[in-house]
Amino acid sequence: MHPATPPTAGAPAGRNHRTLLSRRRFVRGLAAVALVAPLALGAAGCGGDDDAGDGGPVKLSIFWWGGDARAKLTEDALALYTKKHPDVTFEKTWQANQGYFDKLATLTAGGNPPDLFQIDDNYLAEYAGRSTTLDLGSYRDSGKLDVSKFPKSLLEYGVVDGKLAGVAAGENTQGLVYNKTLLTKNGLPEPTTGMSWEEHIAWAEQVAKKTKVPGTQDPSADYKALWVWLRQQGKDLYKGKELGFTVEDVTKWFELWKGARDSGATPTADVIHQGNATDITKQLVVTGKAATSWVWANQMPDLKKNTKDELGVVAYPGDPSAQWARASMYWSVFKGSKHRDTAVDVINFLNNDPEAVALLGTDRGLPSNMDLRAKVSETATDPAMKQSIQVESDLAQKFGPSPQVPIKGHSKVKSELTKAAENAQYGRATPAQAAEQFVTACKAAIA
Amino acid sequence: MALTTAPGRTPRTGPVGPRPTRRGAGRARYGEGLAGYVFLSPWLIGLMGITALPMLLSLWLSFTDYDILTPLSEVRWVGLANYERMFTADPSYWHAVRVTLTFALVAVPLKLAAALGVALLLNRTWRGVGLFRGLFYLPSLLGGSVALAIVWVNMFNRDGAFNSFLALFGVEGLPWVADPDWALQTLMVLAIWQFGAPMVIFLAGLKQVPVELYEAAAVDGAGVWRRFRAVTLPMLSPVIFFNLVLETIHGFQGFTAAFVLSNGTGGPVDSTLMYTLKLYISGFTDLEMGYASAMAWVFLLAIALITAVFFSTGRFWVHYSDGGDDS
Repeated sequence: MHPATPPTAGAPAGRNHRTLLSRRRFVRGLAAVALVAPLALGAAGCGGDDDAGDGGPVKLSIFWWGGDARAKLTEDALALYTKKHPDVTFEKTWQANQGYFDKLATLTAGGNPPDLFQIDDNYLAEYAGRSTTLDLGSYRDSGKLDVSKFPKSLLEYGVVDGKLAGVAAGENTQGLVYNKTLLTKNGLPEPTTGMSWEEHIAWAEQVAKKTKVPGTQDPSADYKALWVWLRQQGKDLYKGKELGFTVEDVTKWFELWKGARDSGATPTADVIHQGNATDITKQLVVTGKAATSWVWANQMPDLKKNTKDELGVVAYPGDPSAQWARASMYWSVFKGSKHRDTAVDVINFLNNDPEAVALLGTDRGLPSNMDLRAKVSETATDPAMKQSIQVESDLAQKFGPSPQVPIKGHSKVKSELTKAAENAQYGRATPAQAAEQFVTACKAAIA
Repeated sequence: MALTTAPGRTPRTGPVGPRPTRRGAGRARYGEGLAGYVFLSPWLIGLMGITALPMLLSLWLSFTDYDILTPLSEVRWVGLANYERMFTADPSYWHAVRVTLTFALVAVPLKLAAALGVALLLNRTWRGVGLFRGLFYLPSLLGGSVALAIVWVNMFNRDGAFNSFLALFGVEGLPWVADPDWALQTLMVLAIWQFGAPMVIFLAGLKQVPVELYEAAAVDGAGVWRRFRAVTLPMLSPVIFFNLVLETIHGFQGFTAAFVLSNGTGGPVDSTLMYTLKLYISGFTDLEMGYASAMAWVFLLAIALITAVFFSTGRFWVHYSDGGDDS
């Protein structure tokens, strides 16, 4: 810690000497600060959290993705929790969807994951399969986590390998959103729940001819559309740790949409590609490049913000019982968290406290607690939100059982589907070739 | 360091004063060395902690099945399996290699040519030349910025500014960034456009060329082209070499633009799947960090190899004016 040269005996005394010494001291001080500061900060980073969660103040770290609006609502709800439990404060971190899972994985790798985090079905099995998430089953059984008002299938959709890995933060389902204004103006019929896929494509073709706007986004690259379609054929996306479909199934799926592209019911490949982005502002129904987009029903309010036109929403084509009450996203607790009990209590609060649920509204999907969902729908004022609640409630009676949560490798399966479907869309592969390529890649991804 | 050296101490190298004893000099040197290291320590700690250790760790991880979520203590050693898979069982790996090579082979020479060309134009003294130098440098200041890539994507959409410009001449544009046949080329144009940094270095190099050489060449009857070929190019060759090495490495590492343009997927249909993007997707999206680490090490070795090749060929064409041949 004493880096500088020791004072030399023969140094001239006087003013010059003094300034020199003080300068030297100053530089030494700087060096010391430079050395010590990172150590001190590091130590501060490691320390803290030594309370076991019972009594004493708790600082719970919580991490979610979303926009400003969600951040505001969530912060309000958490503030409410702190008001009721003054011992508990939150270390809140949030960011946009893009990059969220990179950061969550990095935090986990660094041994510093948040106590409580938002996750979706793309990654739930990945995290649960690696024992990163706490099994919430015992809390459910003891009633500390009250799920008695949840739809059964919604709760089951959080179970991975027999363990409750996440609790739905909200419910949504597949929704076909269409441009009502465009249809009304041209005297065209609106799509309805229960129309067949062929009827949907024929309708889209009719829209394209009359309005010059292609009737539908081509969803062949969209895993959720493929999933619903597969369930209607008696198949599924996954069966256990295997794929629930064959090359023939996917070939039929790709051929269905090749026909739609050839008849002009859908836009050209490059426009479809733009619509394949997960970004809501690029959905073709709001960019005006197609009359229909394949989304989640709870995204209606967000979509509405990006267009002046009036929007409508129905179920995906075919038998709506292929759709299910899907957890739009979950809350999960890190297995190694020192504040597990508190974290579970916060999840319970966010799902079951009437005030908190009223605050959160439908931002993360419809409330999972059915009693509170009814209250929220009564008081909803946003027309787009009302509409999505309406569709979801109408469909709720027709919902089929939920499938298993997507398995490890699902995110890769999704990107391989996009690649294969686009290969077919750009005409670089026949539907059969693209399907073959997709299934081969999937098998490698989930092996 | 000058601040800490007390006056009256024997200067190490000085024209006057008695020569210090061996021991004394040793101690002084030791003291100075220690001080140096202490002052370097924040940086050294950073280098060790943030660069060297993680690199060694990633070397180890490249032989494991690390998936980033599993604790390090539980990862399994898989030997060369990751490397084997990369070279024999992953067609998209080779696809990424091809995309990256294509990108570097086309974009780097064109970028250097553009940089040299504009540097020659701006190596004059006319009014406002400073402004132009600044304007040409600006794009590369924005460098790997996300904002720039977003602007680029919007400019080259089917209904973007570039196609509107083409429409003025009755030309119907393509969906540049959304067309798998053109997306990579659009990225190349973006890279070439950011030629400011090598341009500034070329300008500095051009200023170093002695005017006498041009005068002598002119007296000997050399025309503009001859002067460029016989004087400018040889005199500039060390600078060209420097830029070539730097830009090649830079070209191989192209990531941001491809990431933004494709929403992190390398699409449409893998047409912009650069090596670094493939690496990123493997590590973070597919949660195969061990595999991604192996990819990173192959990448490092490949770049080192290419740089070594440049250095070994350099002595045939790089001339140093001080008479040294290839030092």
